[in-house]
Amino acid sequence: MTGPCNRRDFIRDLGIGAAAIPFILNLPSLGFANQQRRKQRLVVMFSPNGTLPNLFWPDEEGEKFAFKEILKPLQPFHDRTLVLRGVCDRVRGDGDAHMRGMGCLLTGIELFPGNIQGGSDTPAGWARGISIDQEIKNYLQKDPATRTRFGSLEFGVLVPERADTWTRMVYAGANKPLAPVDNPYQMFAKLYGQLKDREALKSVLDEVQQDLRKVSTRVSTEDRRLLEEHATFVREMEQELRATRDEAVGHLVPELTPGVKKENDNIPKLSKMQIDLMVNSFAADFARVATLQFTNSVGQARMRWLKVEESHHELSHLPDSDAKAQDKLTRINKWFCEQMAYLAKRLAETPEPGGKGSLLDNTLIVWTNELGKGNSHTLDNIPFVMVGNGLDFKMGRSLKYNRQPHNRLLLALAHGMGHRIKAFGNPNFCGQGPLPNLT
Amino acid sequence: MPTHPPFLPAPRRIRLGAALVLLLLVPSLRAVDPTGEQIYRKKCASCHGVSGEGTKAHYPHPLEGNRTAAQLARYIAKSMPEDAPGTCTGAEADKVAAYLHEAFYSKVARERNQAVRIELARLTVRQYQNTIADLVGSFRSSDSRENKEGLRGEYFSARGFRNNQRVLDRLDREVKFDFQAGSPDAKIKPEEFAIRWQGSIFAPETGEYEFLVRTENGMRLWVNDTTRPLVDGWVRSGAGKTELRETIRLLGGRAYPLRLEFFKSKQAKEKTASIALEWKRPGGVAGPIPPHYLSPSRAPEVLVVSAAFPPDDRSLGWERATSISRAWDQATTEAALEVASYVTAHLGELAGFGFEGRDKPQKVRAFAQQFAERAFRRPLSEVEKKLFVDRPFETVADPEAALKRVVLFVLKSPRFLYREVGEDESYNIAARLAYTLWDAPPSDDLLKAAAAGRLRTREQVAAQAERMLADPRARVKLEEFFLRWLKVDQAPEIAKDRARFPEFTPEVLADLRTSLRLTIEDAVWSKNADFRRLLLTDELYLNGRLAKFYGVHLPADAPFQKVKLDRQQRAGVLTHPYLMATFAYTAASSPIHRGVFLSRGVLGLTLRPPQQAFAPLTESLHPNLTTRERVTLQTKPDMCQSCHGVINPLGFTLEHFDAVGRYRDLDNKKPVDSTGSYQTRTGEQIKFTGSRDLAQFLAASDEVQTAFVEQLFHYLVKQPIRAHGPRTAADLRDSFVKSGYNIQKLTVEVATVAALHRRTPQEPAKPETKTLKPSGK
Repeated sequence: MTGPCNRRDFIRDLGIGAAAIPFILNLPSLGFANQQRRKQRLVVMFSPNGTLPNLFWPDEEGEKFAFKEILKPLQPFHDRTLVLRGVCDRVRGDGDAHMRGMGCLLTGIELFPGNIQGGSDTPAGWARGISIDQEIKNYLQKDPATRTRFGSLEFGVLVPERADTWTRMVYAGANKPLAPVDNPYQMFAKLYGQLKDREALKSVLDEVQQDLRKVSTRVSTEDRRLLEEHATFVREMEQELRATRDEAVGHLVPELTPGVKKENDNIPKLSKMQIDLMVNSFAADFARVATLQFTNSVGQARMRWLKVEESHHELSHLPDSDAKAQDKLTRINKWFCEQMAYLAKRLAETPEPGGKGSLLDNTLIVWTNELGKGNSHTLDNIPFVMVGNGLDFKMGRSLKYNRQPHNRLLLALAHGMGHRIKAFGNPNFCGQGPLPNLT
Repeated sequence: MPTHPPFLPAPRRIRLGAALVLLLLVPSLRAVDPTGEQIYRKKCASCHGVSGEGTKAHYPHPLEGNRTAAQLARYIAKSMPEDAPGTCTGAEADKVAAYLHEAFYSKVARERNQAVRIELARLTVRQYQNTIADLVGSFRSSDSRENKEGLRGEYFSARGFRNNQRVLDRLDREVKFDFQAGSPDAKIKPEEFAIRWQGSIFAPETGEYEFLVRTENGMRLWVNDTTRPLVDGWVRSGAGKTELRETIRLLGGRAYPLRLEFFKSKQAKEKTASIALEWKRPGGVAGPIPPHYLSPSRAPEVLVVSAAFPPDDRSLGWERATSISRAWDQATTEAALEVASYVTAHLGELAGFGFEGRDKPQKVRAFAQQFAERAFRRPLSEVEKKLFVDRPFETVADPEAALKRVVLFVLKSPRFLYREVGEDESYNIAARLAYTLWDAPPSDDLLKAAAAGRLRTREQVAAQAERMLADPRARVKLEEFFLRWLKVDQAPEIAKDRARFPEFTPEVLADLRTSLRLTIEDAVWSKNADFRRLLLTDELYLNGRLAKFYGVHLPADAPFQKVKLDRQQRAGVLTHPYLMATFAYTAASSPIHRGVFLSRGVLGLTLRPPQQAFAPLTESLHPNLTTRERVTLQTKPDMCQSCHGVINPLGFTLEHFDAVGRYRDLDNKKPVDSTGSYQTRTGEQIKFTGSRDLAQFLAASDEVQTAFVEQLFHYLVKQPIRAHGPRTAADLRDSFVKSGYNIQKLTVEVATVAALHRRTPQEPAKPETKTLKPSGK
């Protein structure tokens, strides 16, 4: 397969809706002579325990909207932001709201019955289907034009060391949860381990050859032939290594602060390290899809660096009338928003290698949550905020929907990435297809 | 012409050549007719020389080439001798062609006739994997193994594993419990409980093991890796009982840590509880883990290298590691990288410092030096220490990065990769002993013996060999040798006619293999370890399932036990039903497979595959003939008889065993004719009737003993026996006979002889300063 064969395919693969086609076709710059398809990337960022609707949703609809306190960090990206209100996780079935909120968030399908019991409702197991990020990754990996070394990367920050319905949102398929990598050093080894290995190898192969020569003098003439043959292989490998040009990624290999342990108080450091690694991996085109999961559903982070001593989940249960708790929750959610803003900033600063503009021009970040609101445990109005121009959505708007199932948003993400599936997750929630009014 | 000649499915195809196959000649058989050799001397030697070396006057070239024996025969019949073509034709030409092809003409013959020497050899693939496992393992401590079978079972009256909620701590011989709605113990409430089983599991052979856990509750199973579960079913997802299975590669002869955690959830209102742990051995079927493979003792994690090595050359019947390839070189690189990252990931544990360790740099450097010494199987000289340890640590600031370099350098060095490039003979002896008996590197105490000069005399070396024989690695290696001697080492796929043998299930087949292993184990590790008993025993290991199939009365659920059978019906391991089923077709017995196995494997005759592939005559084509009659009919032509004259009469003696190894009196409604014969190398004609006669002859045959000694030597030492001196084979056989055919003593003797035999004299090298004591712990 060698990419699109006609202009219509090309346009379709760009992920541009049918309505736009006649308009685009008149544009000479997008004529078929320009074979280069732009890269598209999708990042899903997760933070737990719901939000504070009053301090999150802009009052206005449309392009002229003002950020409320929690979203203020996104101010520099106002015209590249899309806030979606009224998108609801309508999936029901087994499991409590936190479990379903997490397990159905990216899968759009019910959990299996199981033995994990939450604070209420029935016990449940894993989700019954694949998550949208993996669905899109599989789609991109099938095509040599969009295939990358890893396809997708699953980042985490302080995810507890246990695999259960609250700690997993990414699924390779039914009953196949994927663990996020929350250790930046482990992620570094995954991304750059081979490169480091090659460097170490290069440094010893010359000595190995000398050693082979030395040992040769100790064996009989007939046996020496074997060691000479061996030396030839080693020499050839050394030459191959020298010929391998690592420069393409070489200058982008980030330097990690050593010795940062997995501890609550290190969350800001860990977050920054993971975001830096993600940006670097995009610049090296290691993957087109990524997820970044802060803690877990029911996450217990204690944000002492914000002067918040209580755990996030504990605070999220307190009533709206508790002004102190509201204030702390605002700071917590705003801190998560700052992480999104930092990611957007890093992407905006990094030029698109081999293309025009910045990484952010070709990346869409979606920030989401397992709940709409912490103290009610509602799955309505899941806080969905998107930044970046990766998917040809019309950015710089605040939109309100009337209780649209979030499956339609997941479908829209797939379509936006060029994967035109008819339904995703539970088809009963896919209504009339992708969420309208995005492009 | 099709590339693959048509033939009926031959179960032993791979082992016996591309197809079965009637075989052309053997070494000279003394018969009334002149042999090939006699014809050659009479008609050819005057020009070609007695050994085909040529003669100056008539034909000054050595007689060698690439023609097949059949092509040679045609050529001879047409044009030889030059002065009188047409006077050496037919059977005569066939015979002389076969003789000279075998004696010196062919490539195989030329290689064989070359003076053999001990060649420089690298670690075989198996040795490499064992060496890495033991090298890394030597930095871990292990508890001494308790003599108990089963796993430690701890029972908790809650869903967690807190000590204060533990109400029961006992030994469970197997994990197979159905608590239904109840509880494991009166002190435990049935609504909620948790159980943890732990200990270790012994892998009796190298390969892929599958672990299966069946439960309707939550569970996690760790095997080898104690941090990441192999099977994770903690979150039960979906209704009903689930069976989770995962596969893991284990090296034989070692124990691996195992832990299984289980809980019944009150919150999830689980009504019942049950759990069963099973395994599937390489090439086997799923079933309970025999308790003697389980121990409540802990075992340290083992590094099983996953890099894929190209298989070793086995063309001579044993792994000859005297050649290398690019793929091998790449595999050693891949493996070195794998070990380097494993070592750095487990550095605190291996080098003995905590996460914050202040003494980390010194500890890492000390570890690096020990690692190099244990990898090279001897202490480092000053020069080596500088090169392999000091320099990397001086050029790279970060100790972990420096260590990574040391590991890569050491594992790519010929000092590690080749079996013996060391100069100190004591350490060479230690290494030879260890690789001969274990296919693994010398242990710490063996290196200490070498350092202390306690590996010099024959007695010292023999005493070490005897001690080392008790190690599980030696047991595994010897057992694998016997499977190879019997030509069933690579678990053949045995498929039988379902309509004819519906009860011959995969379970029966797996049981048969177990029964064969038990037979071998019993013979080798019994007090006398008498080789003859292996060939003559009238006992067979059966369990309930096998007993039913082979018509012996045992309870259906009987475990494996020795059962005495009719002496005249079955005799020793060669009539074991597993072998009889292996050397047979799907529906019929195969006297040819059996005869080839006996002549080539047991008697050590050289047989070459024929130029032509034959399909066996089908039963339907000759509905009135017995198997014996069909084989006789098909191999009647003279060109067949030179080999089949030997093969068939041996194979016919086992005709009382059908395609699944059951005893029969009738074949195709006619009484079985199990008469047979063999002409010994000294020309004596032996006649037998049935397997007991045959076994008695074989048990007393010096040809069998010689072949056995040579094969054992090659399997253990992986160097040609002839390179160890012209008398070694004969001496070993004599001592074998003198010891009362004691297999263990022979093994010790082989290891001692090989260990003490110096390799080809080496050119003198500059002496390097030695640090005398290994810095091992």
